[in-house]
Amino acid sequence: MNTDITERTVTNLSQIVSGKKFKVAKITAAGEIRRRLLDIGFIKNQTGCVIRKALLKDPIEIEIKGAMVSLRRSEAKLINVEEI
Amino acid sequence: MNAPGPQAPRRMRRRFGRGNHPENKNIIRIALAGNPNSGKTSIFNALTGQRQHIGNYPGVTVEKKSGMISIDGKNIEFIDLPGTYSLSAYSIEEIVSRDFVLNEKPDVIVDVLDSSNLDRHLYLLLQFQELGVPIVGALNMTDEAEEKGIHINGEQLSTILGIPFVKTVGNTGAGIDLLLDVAIKVAGGELESNKRHLNYGKIVELAHNAVIDTLELDDKFKQRYSMHWIAIKLLEKDRDAERKIKNEHQFADMVFSVTTEWRQWLEKHYSEDSEVVIGEQRYAYIHGAIKETVIQFRKRKVIDITEQIDRIVLNRYLGIPIFFAVMFVIYQITFALGNPLSDGISAGCGQLSKLLTDIMPVGVLQDLLTNGIINGVGGVLTFLPLVILLFMGLSFLEDTGYMSRAAFVMDKFLHIFGLHGRSFIPFMISTGCAVPGIMSARVLANRKDRIVTILVSPLMMCGAKAPVVAMLVAAFFPENSTLIFWNVWLFGWLMAFVLALIFKRSLFRGEQTPFVMELPPYRRPLFKNVIIHMWEKSSEYIKKAGTVILAASIVVWFLLSYPKPPTEGVDVYRNNTPSVEYSFGGRLGKGLEPILKWAGFDWKIGVSLVAGVAAKEVIISTLGILYGMDYDASDSQAHVDFFVKDKLSQDPAYSPLIALALMIFIMVYIPCLATLAMVKKELGSWKWPAFQAGYTLLVAFVLAVGIYQIGSLLGFGG
Repeated sequence: MNTDITERTVTNLSQIVSGKKFKVAKITAAGEIRRRLLDIGFIKNQTGCVIRKALLKDPIEIEIKGAMVSLRRSEAKLINVEEI
Repeated sequence: MNAPGPQAPRRMRRRFGRGNHPENKNIIRIALAGNPNSGKTSIFNALTGQRQHIGNYPGVTVEKKSGMISIDGKNIEFIDLPGTYSLSAYSIEEIVSRDFVLNEKPDVIVDVLDSSNLDRHLYLLLQFQELGVPIVGALNMTDEAEEKGIHINGEQLSTILGIPFVKTVGNTGAGIDLLLDVAIKVAGGELESNKRHLNYGKIVELAHNAVIDTLELDDKFKQRYSMHWIAIKLLEKDRDAERKIKNEHQFADMVFSVTTEWRQWLEKHYSEDSEVVIGEQRYAYIHGAIKETVIQFRKRKVIDITEQIDRIVLNRYLGIPIFFAVMFVIYQITFALGNPLSDGISAGCGQLSKLLTDIMPVGVLQDLLTNGIINGVGGVLTFLPLVILLFMGLSFLEDTGYMSRAAFVMDKFLHIFGLHGRSFIPFMISTGCAVPGIMSARVLANRKDRIVTILVSPLMMCGAKAPVVAMLVAAFFPENSTLIFWNVWLFGWLMAFVLALIFKRSLFRGEQTPFVMELPPYRRPLFKNVIIHMWEKSSEYIKKAGTVILAASIVVWFLLSYPKPPTEGVDVYRNNTPSVEYSFGGRLGKGLEPILKWAGFDWKIGVSLVAGVAAKEVIISTLGILYGMDYDASDSQAHVDFFVKDKLSQDPAYSPLIALALMIFIMVYIPCLATLAMVKKELGSWKWPAFQAGYTLLVAFVLAVGIYQIGSLLGFGG
């Protein structure tokens, strides 16, 4: 059992459950998807909140930089985040 | 504002350098930019009223809206740039916006920002500023922001970014006059708007300056573009900027090698891709500027009205039923209200034809006027009520903010077939009529999604195919007609999905297009904006699609009416041969009989199917004529239906199996002319309607032959 409390669990955004907040660590996407995520505000250390998920957990609604955005689950998987 | 100072010579040079528009010397050109949901359309409508002109940007099917007004003897042209989040080289809209600013050099850009969402919106503004054209910021929807407790110190923001900001409320028109005044002053050089680029931080600036130094070696190139912009784009690996260097820069190789070197250095330093580094620096700079200028008095309420509505509308289980209910309302408004109007127009044209037939001498001219032109114009006008009502509905959905929710709710299901959540709207509208259906594919922002959706939408059972299928079902499957009819209806949807998947996997393979989108706060739509939108779309339909539909229907009328059968003398045709049988189109249908036989179709069906390309409902009336009905335009549809149904069910040449093959063929084969004309208009090239006609014909034929042959083998040939 790891007792180191400073260790932060990095996961991807699709794993965060509704109502939880997160902090962006890194975008692992490339090309157009990476650019779109960046443009809409998924930048390092940005915090956000998972608002809800559609039926079958896809797409996902997220609050980031004061606005609501929608991502497919496959896109959310390309964003590494830590839960806060 | 600051004195012009050292900026003045640059502005002078730019003004004189703009010699490519000598005729426009007295026109001030203002480009309107902004994110989607910034209220840009409201501002544009407030500035131009109804004096709007819609076209496409040269070479692409991106809508170009412009409007001209004149104030104090000055002519001012507004150009509405596409609403985008960024200015990358990934979408046509973004490239079009950039190129417009770079090549046409408007006198000033007015960038519209949502005041309650400033950082995301400044992100775009700063990218426009980098292009090297003076800019004015419109802090729009300030009323909404103040309500949320957000206060922006506009003067402070102006000082930091070096550009004038004006507070506006697009919906009420507040601040619009001041905005226009400031924009004119900036355009005339009376007011300063700094073209200084944003600061990317020490490290990036180092690379940035090094690239600029290399770029400036080519004097001509230096005058054409903003060096700051090209340099930062090169560091971002922007394909379009790289192309500009390759084609236009004297020392392209040197520029590329210097850029690569610095970019690698940057990426090593940040251990992150350069595009990400630069994007993050942009936001970091904005964050700094906002910290100094925006005061948030109180925290936004955790649950605002939008969230309250979304808790219901986007509810995991209620979302889909609500979506279908909304779609049902839109469909009913379009067709339940529109169809009687369309029928009225049709009847009016029929009356006019009749009147002309009575007063004009019999002959080619009378024929051309009544059957060719009036019929054709009628064909164009009957769609008009549908187009107007549909766009009223769509504009309402878009303006309230529900459209994005619809996509959110439906995306998972449609994505299975490679489609976007919004593709459902054109599909559903197409079950009424494919012409407005294809127009509604505009709700899809991505071109690939839009093309695939447009290609398969006409496979739905539309209002014109429905009576043909219903008649066939009644003639050959009287016992379970309802069941068969709805199965054929479902078959249309199935074909659309399957073919969409095939196209997505073959023609449009490659990188997935992002779904990332904003769910804007719910807003009350502005009546004026809805009306302007309806007006735009309807006039566009008449001008662009109407002319093509009219021309095509005259051509088809000619092919189905000429040559006329001889009225006397010995001929292989009977004297009273229906003219459609004797015409070019009729001969084509007859000539196809040997091939159509594989599907069990005889020449009568062949001729009707050829005629049906004009419009599907014509199939019934053509069959009626071929069976010797004394057809008259004033005959009621029910009467014609009954006659044809009776004849078909008694004709020993047909069987239920052939009827089934025929129904499937009619569902799938070539969309009607009006639809093809619309596809051409919407996708900008004849290539797509030609492909659509070709693939549908092939698929329809293969299916019909398959059904008939396999059915016969299994002993259903009867």
